[in-house]
Parts: sequence; structure tokens; C-alpha cells
Amino acid sequence: MKVVSKKITFKDSLVLQSGQSLPGFELMTETYGELNQEKTNAVLVCHAFSGSHHAAGIKEKEKPGWWDELIGDGKTIDTKNYFVVSINNIGGCHGSSGPTSISPESGQPFGATFPEISVSDWVETQKLLADHLGIKCWEMVAGGSLGGMQALQWAISYPKKINKAAIIAASSKISTQNIALNEVAREMIKKDENFHNGDYLAKGVSPSKGLKAARMLGHITYLSESNMSKRFGRKLQDPQTKMDADVNYEVENYLQYKGEQFAKTFDANSYILMTKAMDGFDPAKDFDHDLVECLKSTQTKLLIASFDSDWLFPKEYGLDMQMSAIKAGIDSSYIELDGDYGHDSFLFYSNQYSAALKNFLNSNE
Amino acid sequence: MNNKLQSIVIDWIPSQSKVVDFGCGDGALLKMLAESKSVTGYGVENDPNKINACIINRVPVIQQDIDAGIQNYRDMGFDVAIMASSIQCLRRPRDAMTNILKVANECVITLPNFGNWELRVGLLKGKMPSSAQLPAKWYETKNLHLCTIADFEELCREESFNIKKRVYLNSRGKSSWLANAFPNLFAAEAVYLIG
Repeated sequence: MKVVSKKITFKDSLVLQSGQSLPGFELMTETYGELNQEKTNAVLVCHAFSGSHHAAGIKEKEKPGWWDELIGDGKTIDTKNYFVVSINNIGGCHGSSGPTSISPESGQPFGATFPEISVSDWVETQKLLADHLGIKCWEMVAGGSLGGMQALQWAISYPKKINKAAIIAASSKISTQNIALNEVAREMIKKDENFHNGDYLAKGVSPSKGLKAARMLGHITYLSESNMSKRFGRKLQDPQTKMDADVNYEVENYLQYKGEQFAKTFDANSYILMTKAMDGFDPAKDFDHDLVECLKSTQTKLLIASFDSDWLFPKEYGLDMQMSAIKAGIDSSYIELDGDYGHDSFLFYSNQYSAALKNFLNSNE
Repeated sequence: MNNKLQSIVIDWIPSQSKVVDFGCGDGALLKMLAESKSVTGYGVENDPNKINACIINRVPVIQQDIDAGIQNYRDMGFDVAIMASSIQCLRRPRDAMTNILKVANECVITLPNFGNWELRVGLLKGKMPSSAQLPAKWYETKNLHLCTIADFEELCREESFNIKKRVYLNSRGKSSWLANAFPNLFAAEAVYLIG
């Protein structure tokens, strides 16, 4: 599999949905496979909340990409046939313009001054990338969770520039409970003594305790109750490998470890921006809150997939989207998948999941 | 579904109508309806393998257990609902019939006739009968509520389900005078347009 990592600079200023603008921006990209001559075999994969452009393959010292189980030669999204494009979304912290980038105006990191970002803004940047690559129409845009929201937004914003959208473990708007959980996470970050209203970079510190706690909470929501029980049960942590003297159970230690690792690599302002983008996503808002009207004009084929153990994006939300698609009379399918991992199930291969996605991608007139 | 049955169903369904097929299997009927009558069709199925076949056939499909209720299909603007050879697999066929008529103006129902003489002979021999329409062994069958044509039409009368059209087919999938004269004995399959 041919893998190319590249940072691409866009010099024109970008007007955001909020009305604010960015004076140009950078996109960190990674591509897998090769674009055919007609440029018709391109697939865009959109990352979830804390993901990055690194979607597949194994780089030195780095973990496999977040969708490595599904992207590669001979895999579900077969890179022998398709050219897969993955980017780090703006506002993130893995190489694209975001709060840790240097603001050309102040010469300092943007920090808290990085403008508010929406899912539509991400789609705009991805569209500019498609133009840059000469891709007139994506064969498929796919993603899970927040990535699925981007796939849906693509179908709504640019229905002629995308043949298929795979909207996985996602919804057309998140639940009240999900907004509430995001707010608790943000509160944890903001109340860290090192947060300084988001200007921690200028002060040379990091609100890592808050970020760690936020991730620990988030992590619980990505897993299912049964998965946690199966994996950890009530097993006690080996005293030799305790992250913290107060830790009793394995699950505590696991969350401590995951939280700490996350806090080392993720930016607190990005966390706030990304969760705000997720909370605000509601494409039907511009259509008098009617998703049916919102979907009517799309010619994109949809595949909506939910996982039965996902309580963060419950399957009812997937089915609701499907019913709106039916009422709108558009080509859309809905599948309910078995997944052991709760919300995170979308990251992992399973026969049924893979077959559905593969057949959807490969089904052509 | 045999060719004759398929052509009857396709004939009954108006061009460019919006159709839902409950228990759509591999989506073959909806695919033909889309191709021959420009129908906007959706299949409802609960078997993952059949769902995959629908995706391969490019037929929009929804994974859902019909027994758990189809209320969410109301007000979706369906002209016709189809339930082909699946009514007898449901836990509550009568409720399903009532609900399906709330989903669409008209519905097409096809069912195997358990009163067919070949099956009666089979039963006379003291064994659970099988036929081309009912090939599965008793321990493998998905059929929970098999009925005869007489049973089904009695239910329609009792529940005031208005049968607009009906066709009886013999065990070779053909219309015959015998199957029309004595459907409960000589028809192997019946297809109804109810609305």
C-alpha cells in the first residue's frame, strides 16, 4: 500500500460558519493507494473527535491508523482499487491549523483565539482539498461518530460531489445526554489551574490534569457496560503496575493510563473546539428543523450503520435518520450491527460490518 | 418468488409509486420494480445475509424486525406495501395486516396455501408435508402461522380487509381453471391486493 503524508497549505482566507475567518490554513493529510487517471476512485475518510489524519498503516513508533482494520490492500476499503484520503481537521492538534498553530497576526500560538469551528467548516476545507487534488467527485465519504456527521454534511452540502456517504455510529444531532457529558469534560479542563482561559501555551504550562480527567470520562462513554465488565470485571490492579497509589481496580488503572497518554498528545483548546463542533452539529436547523427537507435535495446514496451496544449514539438515532431519508424518498439503507465495543465498535472489523461497507462501496450501476 | 407471481405483483404496482417490501429477502422484487416501473422502493429485512444481498443488488434496505412493529413506516408516503410469503413467519400476522394497511393505501400479500391437496395428502400420510412453496422441514421452518386460503379470506372478512384483486396459482406457479374453481384445494399460492 502506497502511503503519502503531506501538509498542504491553502493561502486564501477561509470564512467560517461563525462569520469569523482564518487567514489561510494548513491541512495535514495522509493518502493510501493511488488515484486513477480519471480521478474517480477517491474515498475520503473523516476522523472522529480525537482522531487524526493517520487512518491506516503503521508508522515508526506510532500506533496503527485508527481505521487500519478496514483500510488497506485487500481490506474492506481496498487500497488496490481506491485512493483513500484522510486529513486532520482544522481546529485539531495533529498538524493541521489549530489552537497550537502560530497566528500570523500575533506571532504567538492561537490558543483560545482560534475561531469556533463547525462540521460544515470541515467539509469546506475537505472540498478545497478535493479541488486541490483534482477530485471532482468522491466515490465515497465515510466516517464514524463525528466523522459520520461529516459524511452526512457532505451529502447535504455537496450532493453532486459525492456518490456515497457511509454514516457510521453517528446521528444528525447528538443527544442531550451527549451534550451534557461534553460539558462536564469541558468544565474539567477549564477548571484546571493551568488552563488560564485557554492561554496556557503562552504561559508555558498545560491543563493536563483537566484534560486527563475529561478523557477518562469520555473513554467510559466510548465503551459499553458489557465490554467493560468482560474486559476488567472487578479485577484488582497488580500493585507493581499501579499508576497511582489510590487505584484499586484494573479499570481505574486503565482509565488513568489512557487519560494520561491522551493528555500528553492532545491539546485542551482542541478538545473544547471539537466537542463544541459536535454539540452544534444540526444540519436540519437551516431547514426549519426538518431533516426530511434537508435530505430531499441529495442524490448521494447513504448507508447508515449503528451498533447495538452504542449508548453514546444510540441506534434509534441511526434509524431516525433512515426514516427521514425514506420520507424524503432518497436512496438510503440502514443496518444495525453487533458490536462488542460500544460506541468504539465503528473502529473495529467485524464480518457483517465489513461486508456491508465493502458491498456498499463496490455497488455501482 | 416464481416468475408468474412476480409478474402479477409488478403488474399491480403503479409506475413511479413509493413502495415498501416487508421481508424483502435479497431485494430481487424491488430491483425489478425499480427497473421496470421506476418505483422508489425500500426493503425491510432482519437477516444480515439477505441485507447484504440487498446492498449488492443496490436496493435500499432497512434492518428491522417486523414483529417488533412497523408503526414507524406510517406517514412515509408509501403507495403500496408488499408482504410476499412472509405473513406466515410473523408472530402476530393479524396485527401486522392491520398495521401494514396503515402504512400504505394498498398492500400486496402473497401466501402459501396450506390447504393445497398435495399438502393434505402429505398430512394424511402422517407426516408434516412439504412442497415447492414450503420446502423446509418442520424443525427448520420459519413459518409460525401457516393458513389455508379459506382461513386467510375468513380473516379478511372478519377484519374488513377489502380484497380488491386476487390470483390463485397452482403448484407449477400457473393460473389454472382448477385452481380458480377450487382454490383452497388446488391453489398452492395466492396473491392479494388489499386496500
